Amino acid sequence: MRLLSGQRAFVLQRLSALVLLAGVAAATLRLAFGAPAGLAEFRAWAAQPLAAAVLLLLAGALFLHAWVGVRDVVLDYVHPLPLRTAVLLLVAGALVLLGGWTAVIVVTHAL
Amino acid sequence: MRFRIYRYDPDKDRKPYWQDYEALLQPFDRMVLDALTRLKEQDDTITYRRSCREGVCGSDAMNINGRNTLACITPLRGLAEPVTLAPLPSFPVIRDLVVDMTLFFKHYHDIRPYLINADAPPERERLQSLEERERLNGLYECILCACCTSFCPSYWWNPDKYIGPAGLLQAERFIVDSRDRAAAERLAHLDDVYKLYRCRKIMNCAEVCPKGLNPARAIEHIKVQLLRRSS
Amino acid sequence: MSSERPLFLNFARLRFPVGAVASIGHRISGVLLFLTLPFWVWALERSLRSERPFDWHIGPLARVALFLLAWAAAHHLFAGIRHLLSDVDIGSSLRASRASAWAALIGALAVGLAALVLP
Repeated sequence: MRLLSGQRAFVLQRLSALVLLAGVAAATLRLAFGAPAGLAEFRAWAAQPLAAAVLLLLAGALFLHAWVGVRDVVLDYVHPLPLRTAVLLLVAGALVLLGGWTAVIVVTHAL
Repeated sequence: MRFRIYRYDPDKDRKPYWQDYEALLQPFDRMVLDALTRLKEQDDTITYRRSCREGVCGSDAMNINGRNTLACITPLRGLAEPVTLAPLPSFPVIRDLVVDMTLFFKHYHDIRPYLINADAPPERERLQSLEERERLNGLYECILCACCTSFCPSYWWNPDKYIGPAGLLQAERFIVDSRDRAAAERLAHLDDVYKLYRCRKIMNCAEVCPKGLNPARAIEHIKVQLLRRSS
Repeated sequence: MSSERPLFLNFARLRFPVGAVASIGHRISGVLLFLTLPFWVWALERSLRSERPFDWHIGPLARVALFLLAWAAAHHLFAGIRHLLSDVDIGSSLRASRASAWAALIGALAVGLAALVLP
């Protein structure tokens, strides 16, 4: 796991958290103070290429954030090295798959 | 006053157990350490470390009613009975309330707790400005009692690899000392996913420090300095 | 003295400060959100693609699930904001960090309860 040094992981976790926070804040403000918005408005918005890019960015931040977080949990509790490596690979694989699925959904909707 | 004490004698017991006592206190017995002295008059097999009895040596650090603190400065008044006395959590128990501090000190030595300065020594002292000296406040007062490190969940899960709040606070003490010349190496040495970055700011350390120090904030500052170095 | 030395780690006998409770909640909520990621991605897909995306009949089991998910998202968010603020030295003192821990805990429970009763 030399890919993510302690500091790099720490920084990525904070940066992705800020991106997600911005997304949540923007969505909350839009829903609370913008014109009434339902599913139809969301779909129309998400169909625009720029919106799709934003959604991809948010999804990327989410999966990166999840990776650093779960990795921390595994590093804390799973001590034998082979088991730890196996679990981390499994988690990474699951996140890559979910990330890919999300990207497909977002991109195909905008096309 | 009623007490419940964690007992374990490696020569006699297979497992630790709790033993109840009734301490007959004198009016001048004010602190938990005084009560322990009384209890030892009743049962001289009760074993614990103690020395200065004024909160500066750190010998009698133990878990009192669920929280780590020093027995000699914990007032008896107001303690819920039976007062539960247990050894510091997660440290190997040698006997009763005495724990093995080897790993704790190994981490302390790992951060090189001494001034590193190869410049020719001056005539008298290496001078510091008032402002430079103030940077050591909140760091130098640590008495290495281990209340913080033994209450840190991150340390519980990785005691062999995570340095722990006490060691990291001491590392920061030397990093910010203006007379030290090895700040860059000290920081580089700590930049490790286990040594430093197990800290999740749970802040149990600051809650239990009997000297009122805040290791979590010191650790935060180490992370900030590491960031500044790399940017 | 050949046997292993025992350790004292009986959680029932330890008194955890509020910050520790907020912190373990942050970890538990994070793991919960991670485990339910497939659900979130599926929800995104349904909201973007299908005609009648969600059957709004919410039985008692769904209510419990909603409570857990809402609490997890809210607690992870509030405790996360608390961490980000202390990164820039806001609320790193002991008293401030206790107050913010209580705020995060109570706020998250409030959001969870709201999700339980509102729909």
